[in-house]
Amino acid sequence: MSSLTFGLPILLVGAVLQSVWLERAHFTFGRPDLVLLLVVTWSVIRGTEEGAVWGFVGGLLLDALSGGPPGMWASSLTLVGFVTGQPWGQALGSTVLRLAMMSALGTLLGHSAFIALMLILGYPVDVPAAYAEIVGPAMLLNFLLSPFAFRFLVWFHQRNLQQGG
Amino acid sequence: MQRRQTWLPYLLILLALLILSLHEAGALGPLDTLIAYVAAPLERGFATFIDEVGSLFKTVRDVRQLQAEVERLRRENDALRVENLRLQEQYVSENEQLRALLDFRQANPTYTLIGADIVERGCELYPCARVVGEDTNPYLSYLIINVGSKDGVAVGMPVVSSGAVMVGRIARVTPHLAFVQLINDPTSRVAAILQRSRVTGLVVGREDGSLVMTEILPDEEVEVGDVAVTSGLGGLLPKGLILGQVEEVSYSEAELFQEALLRPQLDFRRLDVVVVITNFRPEPSEELQQLEGP
Repeated sequence: MSSLTFGLPILLVGAVLQSVWLERAHFTFGRPDLVLLLVVTWSVIRGTEEGAVWGFVGGLLLDALSGGPPGMWASSLTLVGFVTGQPWGQALGSTVLRLAMMSALGTLLGHSAFIALMLILGYPVDVPAAYAEIVGPAMLLNFLLSPFAFRFLVWFHQRNLQQGG
Repeated sequence: MQRRQTWLPYLLILLALLILSLHEAGALGPLDTLIAYVAAPLERGFATFIDEVGSLFKTVRDVRQLQAEVERLRRENDALRVENLRLQEQYVSENEQLRALLDFRQANPTYTLIGADIVERGCELYPCARVVGEDTNPYLSYLIINVGSKDGVAVGMPVVSSGAVMVGRIARVTPHLAFVQLINDPTSRVAAILQRSRVTGLVVGREDGSLVMTEILPDEEVEVGDVAVTSGLGGLLPKGLILGQVEEVSYSEAELFQEALLRPQLDFRRLDVVVVITNFRPEPSEELQQLEGP
């Protein structure tokens, strides 16, 4: 899994930025999920297996920066990486369009899994408010930001191919 | 292009669920600490870096001056309001203590007593921590602060700001960082008392981030503007830390208790510096163990 040699620092920076900067940068509405976006993008570029690995590693890093139980983000993002890299996604059209749609779908799936785990573990979550105030805006922002994440990670993907990864 | 199916994604999902299950069973301590140990120093470094880079962008002088002025006035206002509430609490409490001492004196006329004040109380006693981030879990109200077990911080310790305003409790600690469960987190429970009427209740957080005092008996008198402070019941928190001010009181016949919506004394999203009270030792109890979970 050679992509993790550069993927780990990228995911680490993404997780730290999500905690330190994005959580405090109050956009007009909602906030994007940087790590989730990276996982979806890598999964679309490289397929389900690498997507799941990135999801697992990125999730563990997010879990390390949370006071909640560890494994919540790891479970959710591994699932996201696994689903969004499936071959059936190729039927959705061009790569950029597919990535944008997968970013929105991945956000919905990831947060739904996360909310389900929270409810199973007994944490109170106002589900309608969570979808209206957190999941919905995050889907839109991740959808809009996906081309930037794509350009960024395609560069690493090409370097990785040149190095035989 | 046909892609091959492998077992790795399934294994990783199972592994992640295993980590979650082990944590819930209380068997994940060493691994959790190891991961946090790796990430914590990096987060601290990034927090400093981002703070400094962010300040470079503030180049418009007028906006900067205006911001500083607003910030100064806001802090001054907060400080004065808190000081006012603290003094109120201090005099009520002091009055009670003096009455108790007087009773004690009358009951024990043969004793020789000498009065004394507490002279050492302040920030220098406790580690002051900078808020470096917020929890990556968007459904919890937690803060990340830049002190950890290496600074003597432990789970359950109270966290305050602006003098005596309760911010929350330490829910998780790593060597370099600590995670503060804010009092408005949906799983937070704090035994409280109203300063004026001495009515007791429980201050809880709600999913929408609001702060509510519950379990107030129907015949108790609660007024808008009353100040709720920690009661110290249960021995988990010190007495007299300010929780909030009553904004609205509600009671319906169908409910057993009254509820009071509280306005927090601080905007938790704008906190920069907090103080952890490290020498308060909570009594071991189930409530403390539940801090890491509901």
